Amino acid sequence: MGTKPWKALLLTLPMAFLLALMMTQGKLPDALAARVAVILTYSLFSVMFFLIIWSGKTYKYRAILFTIIAVCFCFSFIANLIEIRGSMALTKADILAGDTPFCHLVIPAVIIPAALTRTIIFPGSMLEGFASIASMLVLWAGASLVLGRGWCSWACFFGGFDEGFSRLRKKALIKKIDQKWTYLPWAVLLAVVLLSAATLSPFYCQWLCPFKAVTEFEQVTSFKILVQTVIFVSLFIGLVVVLPVLTRKRIQCGLFCPFAAFQSLTNKINVFDIRVDTDKCKNCGICIKECPTFSLDSKSVGEGRTLMSCVKCGKCVDDCPRGAVTYHIKGTRVNTGSDTARVLFAYPAYLFMSAIGGSMIVSTLAYLINYATAGSLYG
Amino acid sequence: MGRAASIIGYCLAALAIPVAIATFVGMDFFSRGLVAATGLKVSPWMNGGDIIQVVERGGYQTQIHQPVFDGLFGEKEEGFVQVDWTPLKNLPSVISEEVDFDRDGRADFKISLDVEAVSAKITNENPRIKSLEGCYKLKDGRAVRVWLINDKR
Repeated sequence: MGTKPWKALLLTLPMAFLLALMMTQGKLPDALAARVAVILTYSLFSVMFFLIIWSGKTYKYRAILFTIIAVCFCFSFIANLIEIRGSMALTKADILAGDTPFCHLVIPAVIIPAALTRTIIFPGSMLEGFASIASMLVLWAGASLVLGRGWCSWACFFGGFDEGFSRLRKKALIKKIDQKWTYLPWAVLLAVVLLSAATLSPFYCQWLCPFKAVTEFEQVTSFKILVQTVIFVSLFIGLVVVLPVLTRKRIQCGLFCPFAAFQSLTNKINVFDIRVDTDKCKNCGICIKECPTFSLDSKSVGEGRTLMSCVKCGKCVDDCPRGAVTYHIKGTRVNTGSDTARVLFAYPAYLFMSAIGGSMIVSTLAYLINYATAGSLYG
Repeated sequence: MGRAASIIGYCLAALAIPVAIATFVGMDFFSRGLVAATGLKVSPWMNGGDIIQVVERGGYQTQIHQPVFDGLFGEKEEGFVQVDWTPLKNLPSVISEEVDFDRDGRADFKISLDVEAVSAKITNENPRIKSLEGCYKLKDGRAVRVWLINDKR
């Protein structure tokens, strides 16, 4: 289900305008590298949005951008750390100064202590600096209202890693994964929430976050921190690289991430979902097989719905040979034959993706242009 | 009912676009509003808590934080007090001081802190003091945390 080119172009224009405002804030940067980076990033986002609308394929282009964003996030984050700190390692001085950027993965762990003690158990800053606690909470609240668990496919700057690795092979080597494993993120969530509340410390960040391996981790000054670092690296290699390659599934997001489980709850308050037209569906099972996050099974397909863990990535919508799976707005008829629900979802979802990921791509490109022209990432 | 639900659905879907824009445009406003409305602060277990005493030492300062016993429900049996020395450029090579964190006019512990080696030793003068938790570099100084026993429990 695509759109005529002129109509796709027309639908892209408002997005292109909003992208221009967001990326330039009315003025291109003075530095040449940054200016070129902004123009390239703006062009990339505009073209990709046009392709999503015109081709009718959501997943195909979203997944490419999503992976680029994850890689650029880590590249720019690490380059920035090295520029300002000299290393990826987080020192005790950084922790005591509240210089640790707050990330959404820790949100479930801070809720109970915040409710009972009115304090946030994270060594960041409430309002100051990069990725302050309050700004990330606002971002999460806005995205949850608009996207529900679509956050995990459109806004999460880590998710592109296992999405990218899960797309490397054409066929899965491990095909059978017991559906029981989909309860694991809920178990991890429960453990993380209780242990964080009991210890008044962000347990997931300290012991379980695979993405510490590619962002920042505490400077190894003791055996305990060494063990933590080994765990981070092992989880990253296992859950984000090896298993997604072998299964063609987003294993970290679908079978481990406690934030993802928590975010599933927000699907209940979100107006967008994915529905299956049971009249059109021939039970071929392609959507179940292809879903990267285990969010469809034969029972849910029979009921015309996805499971609550659906990340609205669009894979099942793209892959259904009969067009029976579609984006849907709650309260409206299923499969009206129009593309309205998909386009209405694509706008806010793409705004979140570009606002969060755009600056990461711009920074990375600017670093690379600096390197190509001046021989140094930092110009 | 079906038509009304459909209209509401489309309206909410259309509203998602301004909500997305407002999230970014109003980020600063909403963030400050959130902090003001909830009174949320960073846990003192993370940042050492509020500074309640500053002692001028002629060129540098000793900053004593509020002892931290905060638990999920009430106070914990054990906590810590953090003491900072700043700025770094004016610190002597070895800091030898008596620290009175409960402000009763008597020293609670004596500390000898090697600024370059970032190591410290304490001598207890108060039975509430358990041990030295650690000695740390700050951005512009040094800090220690000392484990305490909560005498209110």
